[in-house]
Amino acid sequence: MAISGKEIREGAKDGFPIFLGYFTTALAFGLLTRTSGFTFVEGVLTSAVTFAGSGQFLMMNLYNAGSLLLSIIVSVFFINSRYIFMASSLSQRLLDPKSIAGRLMCGFGTVDEVFTVASFKGRKLSYSYMAGLIFISYIGWVSGTSIGFAAGTFLPEVVQKAAVITVYAMFASLLGAETRRNVKAILVASLSALLNSLFILVLNLSTGLSFLISMIAATIFGAFLYTDKEAGLE
Amino acid sequence: MNKLVLIFSCAAATLLPRIIPYFASQYLAKLPRFIRKCMLLLPVAALGALIFPLALTDFDAEWVAGLAGVVSAFLVSYFKGPMIVAIIVALFMTTGVLMIL
Repeated sequence: MAISGKEIREGAKDGFPIFLGYFTTALAFGLLTRTSGFTFVEGVLTSAVTFAGSGQFLMMNLYNAGSLLLSIIVSVFFINSRYIFMASSLSQRLLDPKSIAGRLMCGFGTVDEVFTVASFKGRKLSYSYMAGLIFISYIGWVSGTSIGFAAGTFLPEVVQKAAVITVYAMFASLLGAETRRNVKAILVASLSALLNSLFILVLNLSTGLSFLISMIAATIFGAFLYTDKEAGLE
Repeated sequence: MNKLVLIFSCAAATLLPRIIPYFASQYLAKLPRFIRKCMLLLPVAALGALIFPLALTDFDAEWVAGLAGVVSAFLVSYFKGPMIVAIIVALFMTTGVLMIL
């Protein structure tokens, strides 16, 4: 596996919006670990070994509610089950699918934001590119957690609130560019958005299950809607 | 409850679903054509559910601020604007709406 500084830098550049979004979200997570009675090391360790947004917040909420260990693990697994599909999908876009270290790194770093940015890169992905993308996101998540623990969410309320939009804006931007390439993208994404909203807001389904069903249903719809060539199938 | 046990078992419940598929990639590549097509379309389908409804509900009663950010970012990129511009415009739109509300 050849290391390319140019590719690492490109990955880090593409990951910069993720860094901003993660840093601000992690501030809140760091604060939550402190108010939940975690030590600084335990709080930062949680982010450092898990590297997952929603799953970590779920873990803390259930821990604070006094849930049993096993039920926390099962819930965390279910909210993370979407990663099985995302990792399967992304594994097909790697330039060199053989390297063990490379695959471990990609697996560790397959979070929602890395998955989408990498998937829409529009070319096969080198491990150097993935390393840059994952590293900058990871730095944002872990440093945000430590600073959040130590200093709380020190940003002014309006900044903290507005920063929440960073990651969603990144998703919307990817969708905008994809829709320009093929207008069918907006139909597929609208279906998953509609289903997910319906499941969460009306049927009160858990976010993990709701996301999984919505994503898979819209994927199948998309597979009927797109031609093989449009989908990029050789 | 031992916090270290909690932290590491939740890490395992997060990382195993992410890592294992990369070690099954050669088998995944041999799956029926339709399934492989689905894997290629998964990112587009994920985007919709990643944005809605959380981009709105994260702002509670001020959900319009979230909507303004998301819609403006979409439009900037649809009209060929670079992602960083889309995000900056979204930040301004969301902050603007939050200050009005």
